[in-house]
Amino acid sequence: MSRYRLMRIVKEILIYLAVIIAVILSIAPILYLFITSFKPAELTFSVPPVWNFRPTLQNYYDVFVGGKFTKYFMNSLIVASTTTIIAVVLGSFAGYGFARFPFRGNYALRLGSLLPQMLPPITIIVPLYVLFNSMKLIDTQWALIISYLTFSIPLSIWMATSFFADVPVELEESAMIDGCTRLGAFFRISVPITAPGLAATAILSFIYCWNEFLYAVILTGRDARTLPVTITSFMTNKAILWGRIAASGSLVLLPVLIFALVAQRYLVRGLSRGAVKG
Amino acid sequence: MLSTPSWRHRWLQFKRRIEPALFISPAFIVIALILVYPLAYSFWLSFHEWTLRGFRKCVPFVGLENYIELFKNPDFVSSLRITTTFVIVAVGIEFVLGMGLALLLHHDLRGRNFIRAMILLPMMCTNVVIGLTWRLLLNYEFGLVNYYLGVLGVEPLEWLSKPAMALPAVVLVDVWNTTSFVALLLLAGLQALPEEPFEAARIDGASAVQSFFFLTLPLLRQTILVVLLWRMIDTFRIFDVIYLLTAGGPARATETVSIYVYRYGFQSFNLGYASAASYIMIVIMLIIAGVLARSIGRLES
Repeated sequence: MSRYRLMRIVKEILIYLAVIIAVILSIAPILYLFITSFKPAELTFSVPPVWNFRPTLQNYYDVFVGGKFTKYFMNSLIVASTTTIIAVVLGSFAGYGFARFPFRGNYALRLGSLLPQMLPPITIIVPLYVLFNSMKLIDTQWALIISYLTFSIPLSIWMATSFFADVPVELEESAMIDGCTRLGAFFRISVPITAPGLAATAILSFIYCWNEFLYAVILTGRDARTLPVTITSFMTNKAILWGRIAASGSLVLLPVLIFALVAQRYLVRGLSRGAVKG
Repeated sequence: MLSTPSWRHRWLQFKRRIEPALFISPAFIVIALILVYPLAYSFWLSFHEWTLRGFRKCVPFVGLENYIELFKNPDFVSSLRITTTFVIVAVGIEFVLGMGLALLLHHDLRGRNFIRAMILLPMMCTNVVIGLTWRLLLNYEFGLVNYYLGVLGVEPLEWLSKPAMALPAVVLVDVWNTTSFVALLLLAGLQALPEEPFEAARIDGASAVQSFFFLTLPLLRQTILVVLLWRMIDTFRIFDVIYLLTAGGPARATETVSIYVYRYGFQSFNLGYASAASYIMIVIMLIIAGVLARSIGRLES
């Protein structure tokens, strides 16, 4: 009996050990970036690495003073929010439609809606460039918003469908018997109930737009540039300015990580719903 | 007068029938408006010669020449091979590690939410930041990875500067980036499995390993397939991380199809050729998506 208990305790310890290692490996590179962003320049490359140093804000200072970081931060914010608002509104309507009406071809259409998200961006960026060029949209926020809708709408439909499917039909039916219209039932019953899920949908869409690089680097120039492109501008022909990259990288990651932590539970549920039966 | 109620009835019926379309179509119309022209235009381009040199005069029709050229071009064929290797190796490792992680997290752990939140972080990070951070970490002279390998007694590795090491380095970063996605989806699958078969197996004296191979894997088959195909589509089109980590080098050792198209489209401005390569990518993606659709279909039925 005691031998059995010992085995159990050893097993328990091993499991926790493995999980702790997984957690450390997951966050170590991110922590390293944050720490590097506060390192004085002369210590960035020191071997062996120095962990005990006086933190400095010099790198952040350089990022803000050297260029138009604030402007590009605003660009990222405007592009990601505008895209997200449009995508979540359209995606909620469509997701509700898919979850509520079992019409013929529902399933095929729902999968079809995922195709644009699977499309490799590189394959449509050439014609989009030509198109936006003729519409004088190159280097504007609209060029990015329009391109980002191609993946954020499918993403929103996918997530919203899974959240609306969890709302019991009976709730809406009783409201509709009481004289509520379909649209009324949608806005007064389904949307409030799924609000946390829709918020997670918005957060995921925002994160995807905020992180996007390929469209941004090709479709924008000095005016509409977003943050991921700005980070790469610290790789100059002469040198890679690692301090500034670490500082601007940290600033870009911070909102994403906060959002991801806040919405963690709903993000996982919304994403996995389609891959898991039930 | 008598027909009024029947008209009303018909109107209601009509309204009910088009209701789903009213909810669903706006999203589809917007996507179609954005995508139809670019897709059609690049299809047209793929049969024409469009280069900066000839761009003022006319764009001659060349038939299938772009496609034939592509398959004759050793760089393109090698980029297809590199992409295939990358997809299979990266997704394979991510699956094994992700499954392990999912099984660990399936235990009743203390601080489960905290652990899950921490593990979720890599998949949310900005790709540009991931690429650059790992470029620093994997640096030959002053990277932390080589330093700590040295502490363990391993010789420093030329991760990003040696062709034979560059693809493994890219795989390593992709594994770090996306194993959590695989793990969290598989975990959700594990949690949805019925408990009875496992209890029955335990009573019959099956070991943990046996019940994993003979119960968990078969029961989880569909979820596994969906997750694998999903990851394959994502890995297949990878661009940002590789572009910032190695830019396709050294000596094109990590030049995936996306990077190849980028080089032809935006560095040599050979748009017809780049479009033909794009369409080959789209066809490959559609094949994977088709398999994915069938397996999701089976999952839902």
